[in-house]
Amino acid sequence: MAASTLPLITAYHPSAVLAWRADGPVTQGTFAAEALALAQQLPQGRYAINLCEDRYRFMLGLAAVCLRGQSNLLPASNAPAVVEALLQRYPESYVLNDSMAVASAGKIPARAPRIAADHVAAIAFTSGSTGEPQAHAKSWRVLMRTAQLARKVFLPDIDAVNVVATVPPQHMYGLETSVFFALAANCASHHAKPFFPADIRDALAAVPAPRLLISTPIHLRALMSSGIVLPPVQLIISATAPLTAELATQLEHALGAPVREIYGCTEAGSMASRRSCETDQWQLHPRMRISSQQDAVSISGAHLSEAITVADDVEISSARRFRLIGRNADMLKVAGKRASLSDLTQKLLAVPGVEDGILFLPDGAARPAALVVAPSLAESEILRALAPQVDAVFLPRPLRKVAQLPRNELGKLPYARLMELLAS
Amino acid sequence: MSAQSAEELALAQLLVQSLNLDGIEPGAIAPDAALFGQNPGSLGLDSIDALEIALAISQKYGVELKSDDEATKKSFASLRALSAFVQQKRVGQ
Repeated sequence: MAASTLPLITAYHPSAVLAWRADGPVTQGTFAAEALALAQQLPQGRYAINLCEDRYRFMLGLAAVCLRGQSNLLPASNAPAVVEALLQRYPESYVLNDSMAVASAGKIPARAPRIAADHVAAIAFTSGSTGEPQAHAKSWRVLMRTAQLARKVFLPDIDAVNVVATVPPQHMYGLETSVFFALAANCASHHAKPFFPADIRDALAAVPAPRLLISTPIHLRALMSSGIVLPPVQLIISATAPLTAELATQLEHALGAPVREIYGCTEAGSMASRRSCETDQWQLHPRMRISSQQDAVSISGAHLSEAITVADDVEISSARRFRLIGRNADMLKVAGKRASLSDLTQKLLAVPGVEDGILFLPDGAARPAALVVAPSLAESEILRALAPQVDAVFLPRPLRKVAQLPRNELGKLPYARLMELLAS
Repeated sequence: MSAQSAEELALAQLLVQSLNLDGIEPGAIAPDAALFGQNPGSLGLDSIDALEIALAISQKYGVELKSDDEATKKSFASLRALSAFVQQKRVGQ
């Protein structure tokens, strides 16, 4: 029996717009033709580490890799040491980046090319507490279904939507909303990853209405403080870190559009949402349920092969609604990038000359701080040793050298003592 | 090391203040030293700092920073380059 397949593009219309490059719109037909051509030119291998920063090139690479029967590896960071570790861990892997030659496309296919539904389209990574990043394999079916589900929740009544995203496509949130919204749910994505408020305005202005802005609290706060005037936006979606109700309210007033937050994880993609200025309750997507058994809370969904254990502290209101009491304290999420504090601490301890040390997140801070025992090293030397392995936003600030860490009788480091030492 | 100009000192004060760079004396930032990265002598700033700097500069000088603009990219090389960029854009407006 033939394995089941799904199209590269759902509801394929060769003339419909799928993406916006700097030189204008790209149709679904052109994209399909370019992806088929690129698939033939890719190196032999099983895995492509897809580091493309340009969103269009990322999508093209992702599609070509899948059409060729290979899988995309999506590291949480493009730091050289992270990429090198992936090349070692996955034999028959190679790096795909923005400098790849885009093959001249052949004829526009009349029908969408198809991909095996169970094909491992992408492997996303989360930083595990033990050091080696944890791999999460995503089939083509799960990625397409998850995006379709979320698209129905957020914009049920709008046919074609143009997406501008400030988050990288390698991150699960960006992958779902800016790549698979386009492939699976009739959206068209702008190629850039705008960063400064003026970049976001320009990217939005480069696409016609209706517009969807995919972003994070850090970018949205900057947008709000800048007072910049944006073209009309239909909807703003935020994820990766909590958005305060206050900022959400300000944004809605300033931009004249609803602001919705996504609750999700790398394992499952988006699972729930809320309109942050109205409620602190998360509403699960259709056909998803939350339940608790012996202190472990899990979320299940018809499109997911297994239930997801929720690492955060939650209060269940009903089978479809819940409230977050506390976030998983180990995980840092900044501007679409993520890292685990215990993993970062392991990297710090591995620096030659470091005898003891800890990274932790001071209350209200955006980035971690560190206390280090390293008599023979200067603070700047420790930072330089960490820099190649750690994304810059997770480099501790401040990093302070101390004579010893304030371990209690259990060997633990009470937060209050760490803060005292940091301030002293 | 060359001395800071009055404009460079004012910008250095804005950076230290908007980024909460405690322990750094604005007058002590070498005009030619790198702002970003972890090489010796660099101020060690990162992308979140870049966002804060852009806000502070647009509020104080009315100058807009964009990441697809080559001039902006070059301006982030050092205090001197950033100050020259801001002064030039200001005059141009």
